[in-house]
Amino acid sequence: MAVSIAKQGKHGHGVAGQSLVHDEVIYQETREMRLLGFVLFLISDVVLFSAFIFAYLYLRNTVTPVWPPMLDGKQLPRLDVAFAGVNSCILFGSGVTMHYAMEAWKHAKKGAFNGWILGTIVLGTLFLCGQGYEYMHAQIGGWSGSIFGASFFTLTGMHGFHVLVGVVYLIVLWWQANKGVYDETHYFGLTAGTLYWHFVDVIWVALFFLFYLF
Amino acid sequence: MTALLAIISIAASIFWIVVPEPLGLVEAADPSGQVDTLFRFLAVVGSFIMVYVAGYIIYFTIAFRRPKNAPANHIGVQIHDAPILEFWWTVVPTVLVAGLAIASVQILSTINNTEGDVLTMEAIGYQFGFSFRYPKIANPIPDEMHVPVNTPITVHVTSRDVIHGFWVPEVRLKADMVPGLINTIRFTPTRIGTYRIICTEYCGALHGKMAAKLVIDSQQDFAKWYNAQGGNGTTGGTGGNAGGVAVALQGGNVQAGQALFGQKCSACHSVGPFTQKIVGPGLGHIFDDTTHPKLVSGDDPTPQNVAKILKNGYQGDIGVMPSSQANAINNTDIANLVAYLVSLSKH
Amino acid sequence: MAVASTTTTVAPHAVLDHIHPEPTSFIRKYIFSIDHKVIGVQYMITGMIFFVFAGLLAELIRVQLMHNDGRFVSPETYNQIYSMHGSAMVWMVIIPLVTGGFGNFVMPLQIGARDVAFPWLNLAAFWMFPVAGLLLFASFAVGAPDAGWTEYPPVSLQGPAGTSLWCIAIFLIGISSTLTGINFIVTIVKMRAPGMTFTRMPLFVWAQLATAGLSMIATTALAAALLALFLERTFGIPFYDPRHGGSPILWQHMFWFYSHPAVYIMILPAFGIISEVLPTFARKPIFGYKMIAFSSISIALLGFMVWAHHMFTSGLVPWLQLPFMIMTMIVAIPTGIKIFSWMATLWGGSIELSPAMLFAIGFLITFTFGGVTGVFLSAVPVDLHAHGTYFVVAHFHYVLYGGSVFGIFSGIYYWWPKMTGRLMSETLGKWHFWVTFVAFNCTFLPMHWLGLEGMPRRVGIYADTHDAVFWNQVASISSFFLAAATLLLFANMIYSFTKGKKAGPNPWGARTLEWMIPSPPPYYNFKKIPAVLAAPYDFGNPLPYIGLERVPGAEGPAVTRTPAPAPAT
Repeated sequence: MAVSIAKQGKHGHGVAGQSLVHDEVIYQETREMRLLGFVLFLISDVVLFSAFIFAYLYLRNTVTPVWPPMLDGKQLPRLDVAFAGVNSCILFGSGVTMHYAMEAWKHAKKGAFNGWILGTIVLGTLFLCGQGYEYMHAQIGGWSGSIFGASFFTLTGMHGFHVLVGVVYLIVLWWQANKGVYDETHYFGLTAGTLYWHFVDVIWVALFFLFYLF
Repeated sequence: MTALLAIISIAASIFWIVVPEPLGLVEAADPSGQVDTLFRFLAVVGSFIMVYVAGYIIYFTIAFRRPKNAPANHIGVQIHDAPILEFWWTVVPTVLVAGLAIASVQILSTINNTEGDVLTMEAIGYQFGFSFRYPKIANPIPDEMHVPVNTPITVHVTSRDVIHGFWVPEVRLKADMVPGLINTIRFTPTRIGTYRIICTEYCGALHGKMAAKLVIDSQQDFAKWYNAQGGNGTTGGTGGNAGGVAVALQGGNVQAGQALFGQKCSACHSVGPFTQKIVGPGLGHIFDDTTHPKLVSGDDPTPQNVAKILKNGYQGDIGVMPSSQANAINNTDIANLVAYLVSLSKH
Repeated sequence: MAVASTTTTVAPHAVLDHIHPEPTSFIRKYIFSIDHKVIGVQYMITGMIFFVFAGLLAELIRVQLMHNDGRFVSPETYNQIYSMHGSAMVWMVIIPLVTGGFGNFVMPLQIGARDVAFPWLNLAAFWMFPVAGLLLFASFAVGAPDAGWTEYPPVSLQGPAGTSLWCIAIFLIGISSTLTGINFIVTIVKMRAPGMTFTRMPLFVWAQLATAGLSMIATTALAAALLALFLERTFGIPFYDPRHGGSPILWQHMFWFYSHPAVYIMILPAFGIISEVLPTFARKPIFGYKMIAFSSISIALLGFMVWAHHMFTSGLVPWLQLPFMIMTMIVAIPTGIKIFSWMATLWGGSIELSPAMLFAIGFLITFTFGGVTGVFLSAVPVDLHAHGTYFVVAHFHYVLYGGSVFGIFSGIYYWWPKMTGRLMSETLGKWHFWVTFVAFNCTFLPMHWLGLEGMPRRVGIYADTHDAVFWNQVASISSFFLAAATLLLFANMIYSFTKGKKAGPNPWGARTLEWMIPSPPPYYNFKKIPAVLAAPYDFGNPLPYIGLERVPGAEGPAVTRTPAPAPAT
């Protein structure tokens, strides 16, 4: 992610006589472009998850006659909704904290921002730990045992990978924000980070529903 | 120009309408005639399209070539659109497409609802050949599929390993042979002769050599052939294991049978009571269920009769129970499965 | 048509204002460049190299098929050869050439921009391409993929180690393709010159926009399918193997959901090239501009709804066959509208048969024929007979070679002077066209009846029924001429560099913005970004641009050809 130079007057080589307003116009134009590009990227990522969700639903509805499917003559158990439910609340909570982090930043409350974004990072990491625990204790025959394991671990694994990337990204953003890369009117990196984090949340809503409730 | 192209198109169309074998192949079954009719219709429309498109393109290219002595600023007619022309060249193709769709839907519906079932059989693909199973013939017959003329046939196709294709060009129908699935073709052979069955889905190194024979017999010849194979209960014919010889069941391993059951059977059968149906009935009490005193084949529920069903498969009003060929299980597997089922009924 | 007026005080996008200094080191200028023109040429060169290799593989196929007993190479080798031919042509030749190659070089120039929206992303996306291509061809060392470019499981689960390399290589080129799609959409939506509304964009840009949408959305579905195949082959994770609860049909759905839009990714930019070449060499406006633009978008959208027409014999339930059949037939309508509009562009023209124009006109004939056979295949009863046979091979070579490759050749002859500053030999170009056109038809026409009469696909050994060996030999010998004709193109490129005349900015007298600047363009493209008053195709009118730096020769070869553009403000 290119570091955006937000401080006015620092962009490129101003043509002699151009005002700071001109630099601001450039910033806004590039911000619109970057926002569109980032949203398009998220859309293509949604397609990635949708393809695997299609695979899961296809296998579940068309191939196996019962769900959970049979393994070695016995039907596999369902997943633990309670534990995952708590873990989901942690993840959704991190979406809330991210929202407050953004609000704090926009109102130039640096201290509050730091608190909220660190909270998001912590909650995101906790969610990943919860997933790890779930993976070790799930009794569904492992990743390769059945189509249950195949679809569950692959989909939630991809999601977990996205969460991990997100946590790293948030750490980078926190570090950048404290170095002065952003200010109250120029903070595209933070916007992108928030969008990404909410995207990860929305995907989890779908996965939680599809694997634990449905 | 339009008139010239019309003449050529009409000539091409007449060709496609009257040519006896538009696909270069005889029609050996119903509904291959319908497929050929649809092909003729497509060929007629396609001829008109190609003749007019190619014809006008060549004509315009020649007629509107920039003259050698044209001034340097010679340009073409500066038109951008012609709404009426565009309207017609949108509507006419739409009407043609609609006509094609209707014709195709009708013929597809005929194909999908074709009569079958006077003779129902299986065709199983494997790397790299075809084998065929007939009712009441214990062994699969490799490489040669016989069918009686003027008899509605249903062929269930599947595969033992990878995807294969089942295609008889003269019949015009094709179905992929997909492991784990049963696809169905129905047709009525109409022309006695020998034809090729060709694999049309890449299946491995020898895909190019994977073929078999379809022999359409007269009804008497088919009956002779069928009897010679051991159908109709006569115990003669090729191969040792005609219907009556038992599968050796001693030494069947219960644990192996349980694992195999999970792999092969649990998709359709539970180990609960009869009423716990998935696709087929629950098999937990197959040997001691007083409310269901007969197996699906009409035989008594003995281990040997269960083994027979596992070996030969079963087709009835309930559906298709795949044979041991289709399931890729051998006699040892059958013994293990029977041992497992016996152990269930003991509870 | 009255030229829409616009104020001349509309400013260009501020982001296009500055001209950054040109890089100085050789590496930053030519190897790791962020200049869309350099990247475009890099795609063209890499794509043409893979074209040669994939073409050689095709010739190996044709040598094998001259005899029906498989005497030339073993079945295992043969299966690897055609699988690599297909995979390389689709992913390492056509898609990169038409999107990364022509799209990168031409599109930003045509919208009056200095570069694409994300030049560094462009650089990263390019370099994935040679890496992916090398990975793909490296699979020959460990046993190349051998189950066709479609790699259906379960047989692809059994395939050699190269099948796993194939998964990785195509995954990588897929990322490249997706990123380029995103880059192009943002560029086209956000960076057009002032006054260039969507309806004043060149049709090539419309084509790139529709294609970019397809690339961006469809490619990740393929990534999912490839990832699952790789996981199953490597770790036994069950998705496709029915012995472990998976479904082979699942692969087919996931693969074709991408691969059908992929064929539109391959053809839409070629449509765009044709829409530029025809008006230029007929000296009249493209006929039906709005309908052509609209049909590009509708073909892209419809392209997402037809994938299961590749699966009519797989065991789809009958009620699913119907909608896919109908949607596939419907695609014929916007496609037909394009063909007729292009024909009407020829009517009443002042036609100059340059090599670019010859390939464009040839395209109209061969692509239409391929489209017609596609309609044959869309009718399920006919497909039940023709699926998996050489009829399908004939169909797709007519639309891919007679369509995409002819479009690529046309584009090369058209934009070569702009890219290199030199003209090519017209004589060599015309020979290239005529030998190609005749040899192409002689190669692929017989495959229609070969297929209908019983020759399946993907076979190195076949039965000699209905004169199959004879027609295969006709096809093979013709294909040798086709390959030889391609050598003429390369000879022409060499000729151009050594003896070609210098090309001015606008050797063809065309009207889109790329022709208003020097050949080759300076690294900043436009000294001043122009304002655009109208769509570019009205040959009778002044050039619709205001504020362009005056480049001598930009109006075209003859000074009196079109009235000079309005003076710069």
